[in-house]
Amino acid sequence: MINLSGIDREGQESVFHKKLKVKLKKPGNEGRIEFLKDYLDYLIRKNKVVPPDFPTFVREIMGLDDRSGFIHIRIWHQDSELVEFAKDKGYEYRIDHYD
Amino acid sequence: MIEEGFLVGEALVGEEPEVAHIDLIIGEKRGVMGQAFANSLAQPRQGHTPILAVVRPNVPVKPATLIVPKVTIRNLEGAERLFGPAQSAIAKAVADAVEEDIIPKEKVEEIAIIVSVFIHPRGKDYQRIYRYNYGATKLAIRRAMERFPGIDTVLEEKDKAAHAMIGFRINNLKKPPYLEVAFDIPDWRRVEGVIRALPRSDAIIIEAGTPLIKRYGVEVVQKIHQLRPETIVLADLKTLDTGNLEARMAGDATADVIGFSGLAPLKTMEKFIEECKKVGALSLMDTLNVADPIEVLKSLKVKPDIVELHRAIDVEESEEAQWGNIQEIKRICNNKVLVAVAGGIRVDKVKEALKSGADILVVGRAITAAKDVTGAARAFLHEMGVEEVDQFRIMTDY
Repeated sequence: MINLSGIDREGQESVFHKKLKVKLKKPGNEGRIEFLKDYLDYLIRKNKVVPPDFPTFVREIMGLDDRSGFIHIRIWHQDSELVEFAKDKGYEYRIDHYD
Repeated sequence: MIEEGFLVGEALVGEEPEVAHIDLIIGEKRGVMGQAFANSLAQPRQGHTPILAVVRPNVPVKPATLIVPKVTIRNLEGAERLFGPAQSAIAKAVADAVEEDIIPKEKVEEIAIIVSVFIHPRGKDYQRIYRYNYGATKLAIRRAMERFPGIDTVLEEKDKAAHAMIGFRINNLKKPPYLEVAFDIPDWRRVEGVIRALPRSDAIIIEAGTPLIKRYGVEVVQKIHQLRPETIVLADLKTLDTGNLEARMAGDATADVIGFSGLAPLKTMEKFIEECKKVGALSLMDTLNVADPIEVLKSLKVKPDIVELHRAIDVEESEEAQWGNIQEIKRICNNKVLVAVAGGIRVDKVKEALKSGADILVVGRAITAAKDVTGAARAFLHEMGVEEVDQFRIMTDY
């Protein structure tokens, strides 16, 4: 049995978030647009429901810093759909844990 | 012998792609069964030509048995599979059923059988096709003669069954207690992460909380179902007006349970509940800030399926949870209601809540904001003493 006292207090954050670091196939905005096109292509071909945060996600991707060709996306699970997508579409990626 | 006109039997035996699926009817030649037999034989349809089952060429089996292929026969290969191993297996199964007294020998001239047989176009192994179809036909005949399944078996199994093709069962909240994990986090990727970390349990309900729905729309329910198709998903709309419209929207988005506010006008609540019934969802009345939930329930012409006793997040620190009137709520609803309790439920409160009569424990941040989501959810489930549906059954009963 784990002790849960205090876990559900207002404002306390979980600490299991991770960074998915994906290398874009092209530099700059072109690479981001292709990334988003690939993501939509993946969702449609795999018959997956478009994530509800997609409009926000588009803004986020277009605004992320390019760090040596990689963009860093915050995820909360190593089996996130974004990881499945990166694998499926042959993107170079790695996951950094902050647990 | 068969007062009902005809008997129906079904059996699924074997592994893909040769899996045998038999549907059959057995009945007296003098009744509707005889008419169906003659009509089917006299009016063959392209690709579904019926044939008589024969134990060997020129020796048809008794009782007379007509085989109807379910899958359209498009080529010689398909015809060979049917006329060869499947046909032979079915004839042998019928004859053996007579020899083993499953079908009374003295009745073989009075009755007839129609067997609808499925053979997958990719099935190549004649040994398997023969053996699977033999087993399935004999089993289906036995089941038909024994009137299997009885209605009590059907009612028991409907809540346990995971269909072979869809792979999950639809839970209908008939075996409380349940743990409702409430997602009020308006961040989809975090919600996705927490859902993936939740243990897979029949006792878990996922609540798409009001803030989550306000952020992303009710379509978020579909995405949750994509991640957890077997799990009950509750859309907590807290509807106050346009009851039928909002219930329909959530139903269309595949919500299994849809929540409205007990503060809404009676007409709105009644329309909401009726609409939930139309879309096959359960309705939930949220009592947040409702001064007297009992009076509201008494006034409703139709009762909700679930009543949630809800202490607001904003007052959790200052107010104690009140679960004293659960039995009264159940009595007003003719004991056809589940009662959920929400607001600051922690592991050490589980036993107390269940003792008060709660069927559903609504837990939010104690799980969704835990460092170990899986462990936190398991701690609740353990304290609740829940057991998985059919976890200990060896699935060869039927």
